[in-house]
Amino acid sequence: MATTEKLARADAPPRKMNKTSPAERKLRRTGWWMVTPSLIHIGIFTTIPVIATFVLGFTDYNVLGSPNWIWFDNYVEIFQDPVFRKATWNTIVYTFWTVPVSMAIALVIAVALNTGLKLQKWYRTAFFLPQVTATVAIAMVWLWIFNPQQGLLNAFLGLFGIPGQAWLVDPEWALWSVILVGAWQGIGIKMLIYIASLQNVDESLYEAASMDGASTVRKFFAITVPMLKPATFFVLVISIINAFQVFDQIYVLTNGGPANATTMMTYEVYRAAFEKFRMGLASAQSVVLFAFLLVMTLAGRRVTREDD
Amino acid sequence: MIDTRHLRRPLAGIASLAAASLVLAACSSGDSDTSGSLEDVDPDEVSGEISLLTPIFEGTEGQKLLEDELLPQFYAEYPNVKVSVDYTTYGNLNEKLTTAAVSGQVPDVMLMGVGWIEGFAAKDFLADMSDLGLTQDVLLESYEPTIVEAGMYDGGVYGVPIMLDTRIGIARMDILEEAGYDAPPATWDELIEMSEALTVRNGGTLERAGFDLLSNDSRQVFETFLFSAGGALFNEDNTAPAFNEQPGIDALTLMTELINTYKVEDIGFASTDQAVHPLINGRAAMGLSHNNLWTQAEDVDPEILQHMEPFLITGEQPGMFFGGTFATRSANSSSPEAAQAFLEFLTSPDIALAANEQRGNVPALKELLETEYVESNRFVQFSLENLEYAQREGGPASWLEVRGDFAPAIESALLQQKTPEEALNDLAALVESTLARS
Repeated sequence: MATTEKLARADAPPRKMNKTSPAERKLRRTGWWMVTPSLIHIGIFTTIPVIATFVLGFTDYNVLGSPNWIWFDNYVEIFQDPVFRKATWNTIVYTFWTVPVSMAIALVIAVALNTGLKLQKWYRTAFFLPQVTATVAIAMVWLWIFNPQQGLLNAFLGLFGIPGQAWLVDPEWALWSVILVGAWQGIGIKMLIYIASLQNVDESLYEAASMDGASTVRKFFAITVPMLKPATFFVLVISIINAFQVFDQIYVLTNGGPANATTMMTYEVYRAAFEKFRMGLASAQSVVLFAFLLVMTLAGRRVTREDD
Repeated sequence: MIDTRHLRRPLAGIASLAAASLVLAACSSGDSDTSGSLEDVDPDEVSGEISLLTPIFEGTEGQKLLEDELLPQFYAEYPNVKVSVDYTTYGNLNEKLTTAAVSGQVPDVMLMGVGWIEGFAAKDFLADMSDLGLTQDVLLESYEPTIVEAGMYDGGVYGVPIMLDTRIGIARMDILEEAGYDAPPATWDELIEMSEALTVRNGGTLERAGFDLLSNDSRQVFETFLFSAGGALFNEDNTAPAFNEQPGIDALTLMTELINTYKVEDIGFASTDQAVHPLINGRAAMGLSHNNLWTQAEDVDPEILQHMEPFLITGEQPGMFFGGTFATRSANSSSPEAAQAFLEFLTSPDIALAANEQRGNVPALKELLETEYVESNRFVQFSLENLEYAQREGGPASWLEVRGDFAPAIESALLQQKTPEEALNDLAALVESTLARS
């Protein structure tokens, strides 16, 4: 009997080894301990607020009173509100112009700085500086640049006999002025990503192209641009997300004016929450903003995957 | 105009106010925990750690004044009370109060503005000080009725005034005299005629605005013109907007025409971020200004003060806007006695005067009328002499929810995107829906 059993066990397929060694278990435990602070942080400061935002979006919570369920009333109000529609359109226009413009400029600068330029480090620092400077400080400088009377921009245009503008208070120019600041400020981080990516491009490709007699422009479009495609998609996605979240420069430069000409989705969320105390409405607006960002991110991911 | 002599009653200001309130409190309430009455309380026995949220005492100078000069006086009287100060600005006060309410960490004493009291009082955020004996009648002994009213909601007193700020017309008399005028405009028609005459253009470029209305908050400018047109923001019981009635339309039409028809100022000409006010450097001949223009001019160009003449914007009636800063107390302070003591300290004559001087504002207490500060500041004097014409913003509890909608509406009219009537009616529809919701 015992022999038969032994034979039967021997014929059976080898049992799957579920147990890990003590060393592996210890390693796994250590791993969990190491990520625990981050998980707690995400749980408390991300997950709970996200869930609360979705829930509060269905209420009339106004900070000082108890919330009441109003279900989809906030969403109905958002879609009927001409100011929020204006803010949504402004955000789309802002994103449409700041993202490609700053990406194109960043790419050109990155390529230029990757060619062994003199004072290369100085230039890199100079172009990256706006990224690490507080937006409020930057906006204060731009307030002076845009000042209709004492501003640098109108003084510069005056040298060429071009009449100055009231950049931030004329509805024709205000959004474009904000877009200019946004595009300028966004160049630094994009440039850095492009430079990092450029340094991974195989030099032999350029050498081969040179031997084939390719011009610099031809090499740029035939080698550099295709090789930077993964970086470009990454930059595109994070730039769109950042552009949709623009707030601080609007807050300092225009307060959304004149006549709501520069208001953005995030600024309307701020106004609803902190000027009108309508946390429920602000939560619903945040959910709409989140939906926009989700669609953009998924679209970007899809394009990236196709590229992979 | 008010004859200021009638204000010279020998009031002991907030000290007597406090004393009277404490007598009333003693009669009306025996609950020591909520009475806040300090009459029978030894200051040494008042203890606790309290917090103050303040949008005044701004900057290094303000902080030095409060912490180095004023707070030591309070600590000398109440040695067992500790005050922690949270400085903010009026621009960020909403955020601070919102986050304080959400987090349940409401400051014990809060300074807030005219138009703010009603909304917070309606939600039981603020302590009703009439329960402590600080009634309307008691306050009226030391303050003008309109000022007392601004700190009240539903019959209760929720805010004690510290300072006022007004919007008044200012004329540069040296410029007016050059053009042959010997007095500021006394009517809207004169305002238009003189503003046109005083405007200076070089080709198409505006070099001097005849009347500057863009250096101020557009809502407050509109309100000043609205009041001078005989209008009001809301109906009497604050249940419906009234600013879109004919006086409001006339007021916004005047503002729009000053810019677009009479071209006395161009959009963007005098922006609020300019370091020097256009009335000080002569880039405007007349304008609507905050009363603290006097202290600004003292810093920049004191000699110009002799040429500056305050006047009332007068249409159907003289109009003046006033705002101000009120001391309030949290309804849920853990140290109500200490908070009450500190509130009384902040609103007492010497302390309020110091705060007013630092900010260049108009003292709310009548007894401060004869102080050297007031007598040396013509704009403050003028504001006090004309307080009978002063009107404030706010009224309904939901004022804070709607006040931010005024600027875009007014701007849309000034930029001729909408007619004044359309802009105000659209705004009124927004306000009505907010009033209906609350």
